[in-house]
Amino acid sequence: MPKVRIDNETYEFEGRPKLLQFCLDIGVELPHFCYHPSMSVPANCRQCLVRVGTPARDRGTGEMQVDEAGNPVIQYFPKLQTSCSLEITDGMVVETHRSSEEVAGAQKDNLEFLLINHPLDCPICDQAGHCPLQIQAYKYGPEGSRFEFDKVHKPKHIRLGPRVVLDGERCINCTRCTRYTSEVSGSHQLTIIERGVRNYPMTPPGTEFDEPYSMNVIDICPVGALTSADFRFKARIWEMSKTPSITVANAKGSNCYYWVKDNLVMKVTPRQNMDVNEYWLADEDRLDYERFNKDRPAGPMINGSAAGWDAAYGEAARLLSSVDPSEVLFIGSPFATVEDNYLLTKLADSLGSPAPQYIRHVEIGKGDDWLITDEKAPNHQGCERLGMSEIDAEIAAARIQTGEIKLVYVLEEDPVVAGVLSASDMDAVKVILHPYNVTNETLHGANVVLPAATIVETVGTFVNIDGHAQRVRPAKAIRGVNRTLVMEMGESRADRHGTPFDRWHNETNLVDCQPGWVSLPEVAERLDIEMAYKGPRQVMEEVAGTVDAFQGATYEAMGLEGVRLMEIGAAV
Amino acid sequence: MAESGHGKVVKLPDRDPKPAFSKEDLVFASEEKKRIAGFVEEYEKPDGAIMKALWLAQEKFGFLHPDVIQLVADEVGIPYAQAYGVATFYTQYYKNKTGKYVLDVCTCFSCQVCGGYDILHYLEEKLEIHKGETTDDGLFTIQEVECLGACGSAPMLQVTNGPYVHHLTREKVDALVDALQNGQMPSFTSITLPQDEDEMGGNRRTDVDKTEAYRTPPVAETVE
Ligand code: SF4
Ligand code: FES
Ligand code: FES
Repeated sequence: MPKVRIDNETYEFEGRPKLLQFCLDIGVELPHFCYHPSMSVPANCRQCLVRVGTPARDRGTGEMQVDEAGNPVIQYFPKLQTSCSLEITDGMVVETHRSSEEVAGAQKDNLEFLLINHPLDCPICDQAGHCPLQIQAYKYGPEGSRFEFDKVHKPKHIRLGPRVVLDGERCINCTRCTRYTSEVSGSHQLTIIERGVRNYPMTPPGTEFDEPYSMNVIDICPVGALTSADFRFKARIWEMSKTPSITVANAKGSNCYYWVKDNLVMKVTPRQNMDVNEYWLADEDRLDYERFNKDRPAGPMINGSAAGWDAAYGEAARLLSSVDPSEVLFIGSPFATVEDNYLLTKLADSLGSPAPQYIRHVEIGKGDDWLITDEKAPNHQGCERLGMSEIDAEIAAARIQTGEIKLVYVLEEDPVVAGVLSASDMDAVKVILHPYNVTNETLHGANVVLPAATIVETVGTFVNIDGHAQRVRPAKAIRGVNRTLVMEMGESRADRHGTPFDRWHNETNLVDCQPGWVSLPEVAERLDIEMAYKGPRQVMEEVAGTVDAFQGATYEAMGLEGVRLMEIGAAV
Repeated sequence: MAESGHGKVVKLPDRDPKPAFSKEDLVFASEEKKRIAGFVEEYEKPDGAIMKALWLAQEKFGFLHPDVIQLVADEVGIPYAQAYGVATFYTQYYKNKTGKYVLDVCTCFSCQVCGGYDILHYLEEKLEIHKGETTDDGLFTIQEVECLGACGSAPMLQVTNGPYVHHLTREKVDALVDALQNGQMPSFTSITLPQDEDEMGGNRRTDVDKTEAYRTPPVAETVE
């Protein structure tokens, strides 16, 4: 196998890798700004310079030249090379800043150049703390600058579009953002304008940077030049914890991090998963977090008045046993986890009621063939795979009106908005509801309200539109102590932020809600139905072991990147 | 585009400019379309044709209003943003309506060292406008530009994307402005190289009769 020597270590390589990517892959860090693995390589930032040589060959014979000791003679390129654009060849010898003073010096000088007109306003910059320019200037840059002139001032706080704000002075013109719009998203909305010290990215006059994937440039910008209109100045990076999870604004299940401060989700950023969303997120996924923070119920309720959890579970059980099981309509939810839907199915089954149905949320034409889907709920595949069928709103409404159905048990859904229930039916029929938000229109007539934990407060599984089963993890705490949640939280957050054990812990904004895998067994227990699981992990083990459509979907297997399930209906 | 007292300020272009041409005027004639199609054919990808097409449009419309750039981009078949980026890169493309004569004063390295800024400021004072502005009589626009590739005869300026005026002095600037006011464009001047001075009268250009030769004066004289 061909070999390359980097800082006196020899590595084997396959194919024709580029040097920078190869180094990053083997864990040899090299400073860089403009290079991004998903885009073309313009080699314009010049930060990734290394010293490179190749074995000298005899011109006549093509034989490798060797010195007296029998080692190959290395011929160095006369100038330092940009590692991002250099293809590795067999026998290549590379010196990085670790072994070459010349390289270290060049990287330092380059940073001095990049910083000539940089405003150095890190203390008020959103990017500070996770800024490649800041980090690399700190690690490899000069201590001061010899350019003691007035800086060139460029436009600041310019709204490039509704969601992205530009600070032209911070830009180092790496062209990642413009390449993103021309090579990745294909909107072609950004370009670098002007030249020399005057240039920065801009939309051409009369247009806006408003593509549905515009906010990705915020993450790939290696400085704080592009910031989120929505998140600007709200929190410093070190004040937040980040939890790996998935987004739920559509059925793609794009992988993300939820950033939390004081038990509020502050922002959502993409998490790399080459099987799902690669490096990207749709803007709708990023802006889908206010509902985790706002309009949350104050706690359980019975007939419109606040109640304790115990009383509310008891009342739910009493209502369920007060009607004939055949008169209960169970409504599952494509917003809820597989685990919770499964438990609901079990509850219905144990009671002898018809199997739960679910409400489909499709907006035809909303989707594209990238990360936005027509399907507006994250887990309809999970419901389908559990064997739940789509509810026919008209038929269900008719059965409620004729009195055929006397009780509706709703898991994390809003049947009033879906047209299954109308406000006037609510007097005739009893309703038990697990809502996320008080904006849920079914809430008003509900007899028992058991507030549900949202995706950022629970543990569970979602199956995306392509049959990719993925786990969600708790990003923020809820009121009350739940051992499973605390443990999962500790696992999902290296800094244990928000758990009672960390120094940032605070009690503000805790929502009094429960995951379905807590509340459903509580109700079942009061009906003398056996539903004792150690937690969602065990529920999912059972699902994976007993339901063919979930074969292999254990927590261990899903890990951080999920598993691709067999197609529904495929022969097992 | 005035400069602030401290440092340089790069202004944001008007992001929502008023139209400068009517819908009826904002079209290419079929002859022009044919020429642009010809440019596109010359290159592997349509991108390559953008500079020639922008040039054609500038000659037709006088300057490259964003609507014109959009028109060119559509005709060439590349994104508007890309065409706009190209148009703003080059000072030879006028993004705003200019005076009859555009004086591009070079202040890049060599010209700067040889007094480019003195020439620029002298011109600004003389015409009572800042760079980027046009005189009230609509005759002159001053631009500060980067290297025009005539460093050997620094400091220099270019008149309306045309002839260069070399080895500038205040007197030469005065003479140039006088001449232009009388409608007299300077002729193309070929700079001699020492090795050519005895040959062809120092003029290597093939269109010798249309140009003037210019002998490099002794260095000391220019620097003063
Ligand atoms: S705004 Fe950011 S991503 Fe875009 S060119 Fe500047 S530094 Fe690069
Ligand atoms: S990363 Fe290689 S030049 Fe920018
Ligand atoms: S620096 Fe002025 S022409 Fe080159």
